[in-house]
Amino acid sequence: MVVFSLLVVNKAGGLVFNREFHTGLATLSSNDLLILAGTFHGVHAITRQLAPAPVQPPNTPQNFPVRASGLEVLESSHFRLNCFQTITGTKFLLITEPAQPNVEIIIRRVYELYADFVMKNPFYTVEMPIRCQKFDAALDHFIKSRP
Amino acid sequence: MVVYSFHIFDRHAECIYSKRWHQAPGFSSMKSDRPRSGEILAANGDAPANKTLSREDDAKLIFGVVFSLRNMASRLGGDDNSFLCYRTKEYKLHYYETLTRMKFVMITDTKTNNLQLILHQIWATLYVEYVVKNPLSPAEHAGGVGVANELFESALERFVTTMLV
Repeated sequence: MVVFSLLVVNKAGGLVFNREFHTGLATLSSNDLLILAGTFHGVHAITRQLAPAPVQPPNTPQNFPVRASGLEVLESSHFRLNCFQTITGTKFLLITEPAQPNVEIIIRRVYELYADFVMKNPFYTVEMPIRCQKFDAALDHFIKSRP
Repeated sequence: MVVYSFHIFDRHAECIYSKRWHQAPGFSSMKSDRPRSGEILAANGDAPANKTLSREDDAKLIFGVVFSLRNMASRLGGDDNSFLCYRTKEYKLHYYETLTRMKFVMITDTKTNNLQLILHQIWATLYVEYVVKNPLSPAEHAGGVGVANELFESALERFVTTMLV
């Protein structure tokens, strides 16, 4: 079980955080990573447009229009990319090996850590690059402690 | 399993064949020209999630997506890494590329397993047999000339219906 890296993309498509946990993917310069995040942001928006059937409305009665979700899982022969988009538009991209189980749980936990150590940090400006030591430490601890 | 659509793109990024199967009523081609209450409601809120797109627009968007994702996959995972498929909550898109850079794309529902083999079969047993080996078909299919012949279409139709069972 290998988690390669985590990227956080803000709602405007800018890369605000990236961390590599395990080698195995090509090492990209920070410029390339920014391009990658921006491209993914655009592609994510297009994948929402492509939905062939109307979105199934949930069972709960509500008046909000149901929106199609964008790309959630991308599979390739060497890795799998999971995307979790929060309600505010921030995207968490977790790149794992193709057979990694329970990615949903990992990504939810990462979101929790983000809420705890980044959003509750009084010195953090929203939509700006994340430089929080505690977030880095908690993330490393969480990913590396997984069996 | 539901197959929504199937597209073939040649190496010049042109859509040379596209076919749709299940399209939910009230969507795209089956849309009536009178506005319905749902649309007005959507127009009052933010942009509707499912805008009506013509077939050509759809094909262009699909090509743009698979091209970007393919580049992304090879940049992250090295040159020998190939992009296989992606999934959203509503559909799943399968991708297969031949050595000649022909791109085969199939959009299905989300419960479908990997369709690499199926797309490879479509290329090997249908496309090669009925399009490439057709002496009357041109080498380049600009505008889809030569691809949409009767044999290929009926064989594809049969192939997809047997695949669904």
